[in-house]
Amino acid sequence: MESIGRRRFLGTTAGGGLAGILAARVPPARGQQREISYLCWNNFAPAMDKKQNDIAQRFTRDTGIKLRIDYIAHPQQPAKYAAEVQTQAGHDLVEMRMHFPWLYEPQLTDVSDLVAELEKKHGKTLSSGYEAAHVNGVWRAVPMYHGLFVPTYREDLFKQAGLKVPDTWEELYTVGKELKKMGHPVGIPISQNYDSISTAGPVLWSFGGTEVDRDGRTVRINSPATEQLVEWYKKMYRDCMEPEVLSWSDASNNESLQQGKAGWIHNPVSAYIVAKQRKLPTADLINHHRSLGGPGGRHETDVPRSIGIWKFSKHVEPAKEWVRYLLGKREVYDEWVMSADAFNLPIYERLQDHPVLRTDPKYAALGAPGVQYHLYGWPAPPTDKIQLITNSFIVPNMLAKAVTGTPNKEAIAWAETEMKKIMAG
Amino acid sequence: MAVGNIAVTVRLPLRVRVRELLDREQVLGPLFVTPALFLLVLLVAYPFCMALYFAVSNAFIGRPSHFVGLRNFVNLWQSDAFRQTFQNAFVFTGSAVALKLVLGISLAVLLNQQLWFKRAIRGAVLLPWVIPTALSTLGWWWMFNSLYSVVNWTGIHLGVMDPPGPNWLGQKYYAMTAVVVVNVWRGLPFFAITILAGLVSIPRELYEAAEADGAGPVARFWHVTLPLLSPVLAIVVLFSTIFTFSDFNIVYVLTHGGPINSTHLFATLARQVGLESGQIGQGAAISLYLFPVLVFVVWVHLRFVRRQAY
Repeated sequence: MESIGRRRFLGTTAGGGLAGILAARVPPARGQQREISYLCWNNFAPAMDKKQNDIAQRFTRDTGIKLRIDYIAHPQQPAKYAAEVQTQAGHDLVEMRMHFPWLYEPQLTDVSDLVAELEKKHGKTLSSGYEAAHVNGVWRAVPMYHGLFVPTYREDLFKQAGLKVPDTWEELYTVGKELKKMGHPVGIPISQNYDSISTAGPVLWSFGGTEVDRDGRTVRINSPATEQLVEWYKKMYRDCMEPEVLSWSDASNNESLQQGKAGWIHNPVSAYIVAKQRKLPTADLINHHRSLGGPGGRHETDVPRSIGIWKFSKHVEPAKEWVRYLLGKREVYDEWVMSADAFNLPIYERLQDHPVLRTDPKYAALGAPGVQYHLYGWPAPPTDKIQLITNSFIVPNMLAKAVTGTPNKEAIAWAETEMKKIMAG
Repeated sequence: MAVGNIAVTVRLPLRVRVRELLDREQVLGPLFVTPALFLLVLLVAYPFCMALYFAVSNAFIGRPSHFVGLRNFVNLWQSDAFRQTFQNAFVFTGSAVALKLVLGISLAVLLNQQLWFKRAIRGAVLLPWVIPTALSTLGWWWMFNSLYSVVNWTGIHLGVMDPPGPNWLGQKYYAMTAVVVVNVWRGLPFFAITILAGLVSIPRELYEAAEADGAGPVARFWHVTLPLLSPVLAIVVLFSTIFTFSDFNIVYVLTHGGPINSTHLFATLARQVGLESGQIGQGAAISLYLFPVLVFVVWVHLRFVRRQAY
């Protein structure tokens, strides 16, 4: 056997090892950086961000993995995420709103193993979480929590006028007429914002209609249910609301209720939480009731949030450890959810009766069973075409056209044409 | 160097050689230009070429794309929102630039007079230009807000509006008026100060001569001020046209392109389609749609300015 000199041995092993590392493009375990970064949105419940930072410190202490969390405002997310994807560099983990896992599908790591672990612990994911993060048979993100849309009303005005809390969208019309007469109109935006879609969708579904079929291709907006939807909006606009709803932003209905003008709005529970935090006089007067239904059932849009890991991340395993730590440990997850004061609620079945709902009697309506939660555009999967239909605000614009004088059939035909063009594009 | 018949090479110190090299124009010029050129290539040329590439591809965020020729540009024309945007861009830019021009000349003439607190007033005029656009537009958003509109409150109390006043951001013509008003407010200082600089440079003797010939203030303005200002006006209008066409902040904050797409501009629609919906190819095509037109406008303007100058 040929003897190997000390220099040759060192040269061969070092060279081969380095070549192996370079070929695999993964540093050896001992040399791997145990540091991950997470790009998050500025939560509408800021206390949840603060709590998350505390949890991150404990995570580092317990696991030795350093975690850096960066926060950005949600309108900046698309541009920032697009930049990270285009450059294939950036954070390891990213917070995903609504349909984002579909948008960035090819860039996200398969996290089915993580979701399976979590579902084993907390029960199945709610329908909207599944619709958002389960992309073409693969979990591309791990559902974290969701923010509910819920009818919010001025309890004092209802009592004063002897009004019955509505149970259907039709009953809301009866109530709304009285509220407007009292100078406290219903506040549902009909403008180019997401709250407009978040109400129009549930009303359409409750009447039994859809925008696009479950197949994601066939446009179904021109239907008797849509005619009912348009008629309902027209009479609501005429008798229960004021023209200001045509220019409302996502925050306007909250502000209208908090400032004492609106008598009923459809919005996440933030309107109440903010009024309570700012000690506004209206805080004591606001309450919530069960989601409204119709012949097609009781549906709501909610805002599911999930957490994804970019495929280009070089620290997938440590990133998964963070997800397990935050969502998999019941005591940590509970602590985090409690910090949001019912603004963000668990998205897993067995956690639906969460203690946070018992922290204030006004949260009781949030736990009402029998409500189905969906993404925009349901029952069609949130593909790129459905996203373009949603982001082009076709349904709110159809409704805005109708309430401002365009004949119903013409407005619906316009929406159908626009949707079909997008489908064909 | 040759000493007698012996060739001697003398190496000058490095410092001297560098100094000699820098004395040569053909070296110093490119040296000074290179950093700027590098920045231009990196920050302007590269993104522009990428945008061109995206516009002729079916690029979708993070997915493989391929060349589709002019399909994006043709498809866009099928979209009602795009056609509306196209129209809005011309209405918005035309009316805003015209108003800024008229008001800018008026303001500049006013500022050129002997006023008290001249410097303070000139400084104050610049304020709208100094405040970050998104922030000042947010202020306007409150002023036009349907719930708390101070514009309507004032109008109603002055008796010029019937309660509850116009729904500024909820009706298409009012919404367009609102975005134009904010753009004019924001862009007016640029016009006023630049035109003022042009006014100051006009020799007083020309006015004195015109006055001696019996020309009144209006005649002096038409026959002295305006012709001598025209190169400055052309440049100001050119810049403003480009900036106004590509405006984003004002519409994004005030109306998000609504109601019913009646205030969308190319930039806001491009963001909606390209970033929020992931269709980068279409988004890039929207932003570049008017590029050839703008190039033509720039060419015509610069030609005009050159003719005026020589």
